[in-house]
Amino acid sequence: MKSLLNIEKHMKGILQYIRRKLSIRVSLSVVFFAAIIFIVALGFFFYQAREAVRQEAINRAMQTLDKTSLRVEGILNRVEVASEMTKWLVQRHPDVPDSMFVYSRSMLLNNPDFYNCSIAFEPNYFKDKGRYFSAYTKHDCDSLRTIQGGSDSYQYFYMDWYLMPTLLNMPCWTEPYMDLDVVTSTSEMLTSYCQAINDKQGKLIGVINTSLSISWLSQTISAVKPYPNSYSIMIGRGGTYFVHPDTTKITSQTIFTQNLERPDTALASLGHAMQKGEEGVKQMKMDGQHCYVFYKPLGKTGCSMAIVCPESDIFSGFDRLRNSVIAIVLVGLLFMLIFFIRIITSELKPLRRLATEAKTIASGQFDAKLPELRRIDEIGQLSHSFADMQQSLVKYIEELKKTTAQKASIESDLRIASGIQMAMLPKGYPPYPERDDIDIYGQLVSAKEVGGDLFDFFMRDEKLFFCIGDVSGKGVPASLVMAVTRTLFRSVAAHEALPDRIVTDMNETMAANNESDMFVTLFVGVLDMLSGRMRYCNAGHDAPILVGSGAGLLPCDSNIPVGVMQDWKYTPQETTIDPGTTIFLYTDGLTEAENKDHAQFQEKRILDVIRQTPHAPKQIIEAMTQAVHQFVGDADQSDDLTMLALQYKHQQPDIYYQRSLTLPNDVQTIPKLSGFVETVCEASNLDMDTCMQMNLAIEEAVVNVMNYAYPKGVKGMVNIDATISSKGLKFVISDNGKPFDPTAKAEVDTSLSAEERGIGGLGIHLIRQIMDGINYEYIDGRNVLTLLKVI
Amino acid sequence: MNTVLKEENNDLVMYFEGRLDTASAPETEKAVAPLKESSGRDIILDCSKLDYISSAGLRIFLSILKSAKPKGDHVYIRGISDSIRAVFAMTGFVNLFEFK
Repeated sequence: MKSLLNIEKHMKGILQYIRRKLSIRVSLSVVFFAAIIFIVALGFFFYQAREAVRQEAINRAMQTLDKTSLRVEGILNRVEVASEMTKWLVQRHPDVPDSMFVYSRSMLLNNPDFYNCSIAFEPNYFKDKGRYFSAYTKHDCDSLRTIQGGSDSYQYFYMDWYLMPTLLNMPCWTEPYMDLDVVTSTSEMLTSYCQAINDKQGKLIGVINTSLSISWLSQTISAVKPYPNSYSIMIGRGGTYFVHPDTTKITSQTIFTQNLERPDTALASLGHAMQKGEEGVKQMKMDGQHCYVFYKPLGKTGCSMAIVCPESDIFSGFDRLRNSVIAIVLVGLLFMLIFFIRIITSELKPLRRLATEAKTIASGQFDAKLPELRRIDEIGQLSHSFADMQQSLVKYIEELKKTTAQKASIESDLRIASGIQMAMLPKGYPPYPERDDIDIYGQLVSAKEVGGDLFDFFMRDEKLFFCIGDVSGKGVPASLVMAVTRTLFRSVAAHEALPDRIVTDMNETMAANNESDMFVTLFVGVLDMLSGRMRYCNAGHDAPILVGSGAGLLPCDSNIPVGVMQDWKYTPQETTIDPGTTIFLYTDGLTEAENKDHAQFQEKRILDVIRQTPHAPKQIIEAMTQAVHQFVGDADQSDDLTMLALQYKHQQPDIYYQRSLTLPNDVQTIPKLSGFVETVCEASNLDMDTCMQMNLAIEEAVVNVMNYAYPKGVKGMVNIDATISSKGLKFVISDNGKPFDPTAKAEVDTSLSAEERGIGGLGIHLIRQIMDGINYEYIDGRNVLTLLKVI
Repeated sequence: MNTVLKEENNDLVMYFEGRLDTASAPETEKAVAPLKESSGRDIILDCSKLDYISSAGLRIFLSILKSAKPKGDHVYIRGISDSIRAVFAMTGFVNLFEFK
């Protein structure tokens, strides 16, 4: 079992090897094909040759058999003729006993191959010769011995040979019998031709017996050998062997004897055929050997002779030839196999080297040297192609490396740009943790590394400035415009509190230098934290949604986007935001968010989400984000998605103290103001230093109004209302002069040297330094400046 | 608002007393005019009795400094109270003047 497994394993290994070796596989195929051709051709040839050899053998054996049988028949004929002659002689002189000796002797003299001859007479035929007379001649060494053969001990007329012709009344051949020669005491197997002699009256007078030695006959027959190992047999009428290589069988066995021990139908049928005197060929097994048996009757003797030719003898030459041819073919095929394997292996050698080099190249050594082949065949072509491929590969890899590096650099740049862009957006929510009147949450999700959406907000002078925008286009160009927009917004809004002016200013700058025709849809809002008044200007952006007791779009004028055209007059709009209301701003990335079926999210869904969500900015944006994700599913984000929500939560504080003062626009009344401020400060228990600073701030604010609100020489009034509430100290300075926003003044630079410093701007600077909040509004034809101090 | 101009150790010393606010600024402006005309002498602005100063007062101080500097004269501020110093700090004037 184990060895079987081993063999199987070896076989598998060999098959694996063959599968790997092209040379062996091809050679095996060729040799296999050649072998098939050889097998078919040689098979056919061998079959034909064998048939020819067989036919030849049959012819040859039959010829031999004919010849032998003719010869035997010749001998027999000779016996019969000689016997006839002697009979004639005896009949002519039947009464001369001594001449019988002469006749008998001359018979043997004339026919030296006859064994003996006796001319035997009826008892008492010759009166003077007594009861027995038989002229008997026999070869005795080189001479002939002629004697009178009959005696009391040998009463010949009772012998078969004597009785048979007399009884049958015709000459006949006896079955072989043992003849004892009394003189020499030798016995010999004989067959005799017996012929009765009658006198003129037809009365039987004697019998001529001419004998042939069976052994001699056998030798004669056996001498005929068409093949070295062939032999002859001869059987008599009863099937008795007369001639057989095994002399013990002669006369003692018949052709059927063997059959008794071991049934052999072939042998039996041969026996029967021979007995019947048939002539033919039989292929059969004799003594364990395949043989051809050729048989033929021998004349009138009733005997039949057969030549047994072993197949091995017949075909020995052929077999030798065949074996030689097979051996030559096998050796030839083997040499052919080896030759092919070698040829193909040597032809494929460059391929193997190519394979090795290819492996080297595949491992990353692109500069590996390829074998140089000066061949123009397929392998040469392959080698050339391979070399070309290697060169291209090296080139492409180089390019790829370069491209990848460039891409990595671009990606890194984009990442940095994205970081910079994100840094431009407000961070850290809630942005004003100290304030309880505003809650803001914003979120920007770029579709690419950098995007064109923006939002921003900042608090200045108790006003919340905010904007949301969407730059046309995407990617880096949009992001650059976004950065410009956001910067412009900051710089313009730093000194401008009216959204329409902010947008107009921004538009002038951007449209003037807009060579790439990019534009921004922008919504800018300024929410007055004290009053809830929101001024806004919409430059082509989606209208924000106000979420209060209900949810609805903020009415917006149709203005063109920023950057499209210079000199466009953006219209201002305003509304009052009730405490608790949330302003929800977004870009079209929200409304136009697409799912796989290219359906858009749309305003309706936004409103649905808002209605189901509490109004806290963060909650609204988170709910909206979730709703969009759910809607979009696996589809790619196609545009930047930006949302900003602001909830105004201002509550009117409890007022503990209230006092007012009205002054004319004359700086000489300032001491009055000073007294008023000190009274208020005392009421709010401020220390001396703070009180002095409050004084300073209020004086600066009031002086500002006195100096600038009214034209020179025009009388006007300045109202100062002071209130102390839970939120602290609040001064509201109002007048009905021309609109003048002191907060819109640029900040002074306190780090400049004396020579560089102007004399203006110090007042508003001091106010900002001292107060915790400053707010300017122009309401109902009045400048209203509110100063706050947290106590 | 009272101002007194004195000469001390070859320096011009201007004593300010009371509130230097917008109302008193024009009058003070006139009072400091000699300081601007002087040359070759350092100027000391004594604020030890100054209770209050507004931006109008600061502008006067700045104008004194601006006239003195090209002449190579020094303008010192002396005896300034913490609360007024805080105003100087807010406006960045602490960096412009020298304090004694």
